[in-house]
Amino acid sequence: MEQRSSWLAALTAALFGAVLVYAATATLDPYVLSIVAFVGINIILAVSLNITNGFTGLFSLGHPAFMTVGAYVTAILTLLPARKTRLLPDLPAAISHMQWPFLPALIAGGLVATLVAVIVGFPVLRLRGHYLAVATLGLIFIIQGLATNLDGYTRGALGLNGLPELTNLWWVYGWVLVTLYVCWTLKHSSLGRTMLAIRENELAAACLGVKITRTRIVSFALGAFFAGVAGGLWAHLVTLVTPTSFTFLLAFQLVVMVVLGGSGSITGAALAAAVLTIATEALHPVEEAVGLYGLSQMLLAVAVLMVLIFRPKGLFGMAEPDLLGWIGKLHGRQPTRSGSKCHREV
Amino acid sequence: MSSAYILEQIANGIILGSMYALIAIGFSMIYGIVRLINFAHGDIVTIGAFAMLASVVALNAPFALSVVIVLIVGAGVGMLIERIAFRPMRGAPQVTGFIASLAVAIVIENLGIMTLTAQPRNFIVPAWLSTFIPLGPLQVRAIDLTIVVMAIILMAALALFVRFTKIGMAMRATAENYNVARLMGINIDRMIMLAFANGSALAAAAGLMWGSKYSQISPLMGLIPGLKAFVAAVIGGVGSISGAMLGGYVLGLAEVLFVGLLPPEYSGYRNVFVFATLIVILLVMPNGLLGRSTEERA
Amino acid sequence: MLWLENVHVRRGGTHALRGIDLEVRRGEIVALIGANGAGKTTTLWAISGLLRCQQGRIAFAPDAERLDISRMRAERIVAAGISHCPEGRQIFGNLSVSENLMVGAYLRGDRDGIERDLAAVHGLFPILATRAALPGNRLSGGEQMMLAIGRALMSRPKLLLLDEPSLGLAPQLVEQIFDILQRIRNEGTAVLLVEQNAAMALDLADRAYVLETGLIKLAGDGKALAQNVEVQRAYLGVGP
Repeated sequence: MEQRSSWLAALTAALFGAVLVYAATATLDPYVLSIVAFVGINIILAVSLNITNGFTGLFSLGHPAFMTVGAYVTAILTLLPARKTRLLPDLPAAISHMQWPFLPALIAGGLVATLVAVIVGFPVLRLRGHYLAVATLGLIFIIQGLATNLDGYTRGALGLNGLPELTNLWWVYGWVLVTLYVCWTLKHSSLGRTMLAIRENELAAACLGVKITRTRIVSFALGAFFAGVAGGLWAHLVTLVTPTSFTFLLAFQLVVMVVLGGSGSITGAALAAAVLTIATEALHPVEEAVGLYGLSQMLLAVAVLMVLIFRPKGLFGMAEPDLLGWIGKLHGRQPTRSGSKCHREV
Repeated sequence: MSSAYILEQIANGIILGSMYALIAIGFSMIYGIVRLINFAHGDIVTIGAFAMLASVVALNAPFALSVVIVLIVGAGVGMLIERIAFRPMRGAPQVTGFIASLAVAIVIENLGIMTLTAQPRNFIVPAWLSTFIPLGPLQVRAIDLTIVVMAIILMAALALFVRFTKIGMAMRATAENYNVARLMGINIDRMIMLAFANGSALAAAAGLMWGSKYSQISPLMGLIPGLKAFVAAVIGGVGSISGAMLGGYVLGLAEVLFVGLLPPEYSGYRNVFVFATLIVILLVMPNGLLGRSTEERA
Repeated sequence: MLWLENVHVRRGGTHALRGIDLEVRRGEIVALIGANGAGKTTTLWAISGLLRCQQGRIAFAPDAERLDISRMRAERIVAAGISHCPEGRQIFGNLSVSENLMVGAYLRGDRDGIERDLAAVHGLFPILATRAALPGNRLSGGEQMMLAIGRALMSRPKLLLLDEPSLGLAPQLVEQIFDILQRIRNEGTAVLLVEQNAAMALDLADRAYVLETGLIKLAGDGKALAQNVEVQRAYLGVGP
């Protein structure tokens, strides 16, 4: 009974969202629309990073690296063959002659990012805490370096411009739904509980037979997939991708979204992503007016410091605010308890 | 490849290594005492460079005095960073401290961009430092020699301080076991501040050296050298001062030789090389060359 | 010279000390015995200032004046005359033996006094003189214990807090150390000894307290407690 009601609630929410997207696309001006698209992309990024950092407790700063990989793969696949042969001489002929539609290109981008994550993950994920963070940071620079130097494949520092503007709010919204669905299912699955177990107490988890390394890699790879897709969406929104499109600054902002929202809370991460994106955008005109570029980033950093000092668990901690419960109440039944019962509040 | 060329590369490696070593020592000192990576350390390098420029240009101070000013400014900024971003996080999980120092780094960088614009500026070096000094088969610039000598003097001073003074001993004790250090009556707040001050002063000195060597400075110049110096610290063993020195020179030589000995089309990969080395070292030799395994790394 | 009145300490979510009253008088050895987890180490940490007590008072009178050390920082408590030799020895492995001893005298400025005390410590533990230049982590367990006590003595404390000196040491060594504790007491330093080895502790101590899950269950004369039937059954392994 409850299962069906929560399904119904989710479906209603999704349809409601679709209506909103339709209305937005029809009425809002392009600038605002692009902001909304950015919000969506950041939600995908934050929620997927939540799998790696929040659920499993891995301190990964690697999302920008996977975004770069995904963006380039998607871009290369969607480019006109004529442009490909002209700009990217080293590409194998098979790829040069293809031109893929958006969806397969995005998925390919995500998959290649996943592949990179798995390859890199095997050695790197044995590290802990700080060391993992710095290693993933190093990954950003490695990927940047490779993108810059393998210019036969990537057009080097110039990057790929004039990309077809394929991303629109529908694509973003669709992928947001997919990401949310995957994360939600994961959180309430046994794999999700395994990840939480590793985060809480790795030694105990190992003693209980949890396959630590494998779970960590899965978590890392899953986050990387969505980061790759998000990178592809971004590239085709901005119509440009360069080796320095996705920097460690972005990594910081994403980690902030996860931490502010409360590591482990999907809704929290999504909300934090939305709020932060909008706040940063809102501050841009202020920056221009005062002539102080970088003000928004600085204010963000200061805000983060404040939160860390005063509320180190983030805004929601582990729990999901009971939105579905609200909807359930409207139907006259008990709100469902969300969040796994088998964890300790950190 | 002539022997003169190789010698020249080695010389360059030693010069670069000197700067890495100075910055790496700061990382290790801070990590050794608070078990946190100071992400803003690279920005102190930047601040050192700008302080030097300001001192020489705006204050018209002589070279030696400017160096002292840079050291003081570096120490001051380091202590400020400790007070703002590290002391409040004491006792919090590692992640929090890391994010806090990242946040501070971003604040400093953006402050720099806002006030100084991202444009690189020319660094002014007194004329006598640009002369060439013959050293064996090589012609070495005076500034390069100064860098190496200055670095050695600073590192030696620090080493002597840490090994032979009472406060140095107290710092070593605090780094090892801060609770028991308190039981000795040691004021650990002061020890931590001292570690930040010393480490940051050295980083600032490295900044003025970097500016002198590469003649251009910009608000983001310290970022990548800072990260590379962290790699150096890891090579030598994070937490070990002598390890940081050794790691600095090892990385400096390795990086220069990588670029110098391989064909030119690979020179763009120098950063890839350095960070790939980081990952390899963390996996193969997580305690570095001289470090002690005081905590879990892998 | 040391008074704990209704001291409560919460530590990591548990109510570790639930209002304990304890007293150490000048020139005596007081033993604090109890099972694992009773709160013995917590008590010492609260006294030396590493832990804050949420309720109650801790007072210390090294001279005539009574100081309230409940909220005092650890560094100042050491300066007042309390020296804490922690559980598990915890000497500084990376410092040499002589550096360990010198760091014990960190707060002192009187070179002559320090020299004299160093000689005295060497007198108590001659092995420390022969191993002076070795790094601390190269000493054996027993030698580290001696180093830890020696280090604690270097601050010329009025009160010495000792946490489980017998842990992991051979019985012969433990006897040696307990003899030395007597000498320390005879020379005017009071000792608060936390021990799991109840038999030896009660034998040595002038007075003793029994701590059980955060509360003082029994208190009294050392020998008398050793005869107490409950104590015998619970801690001395004697009885039905």
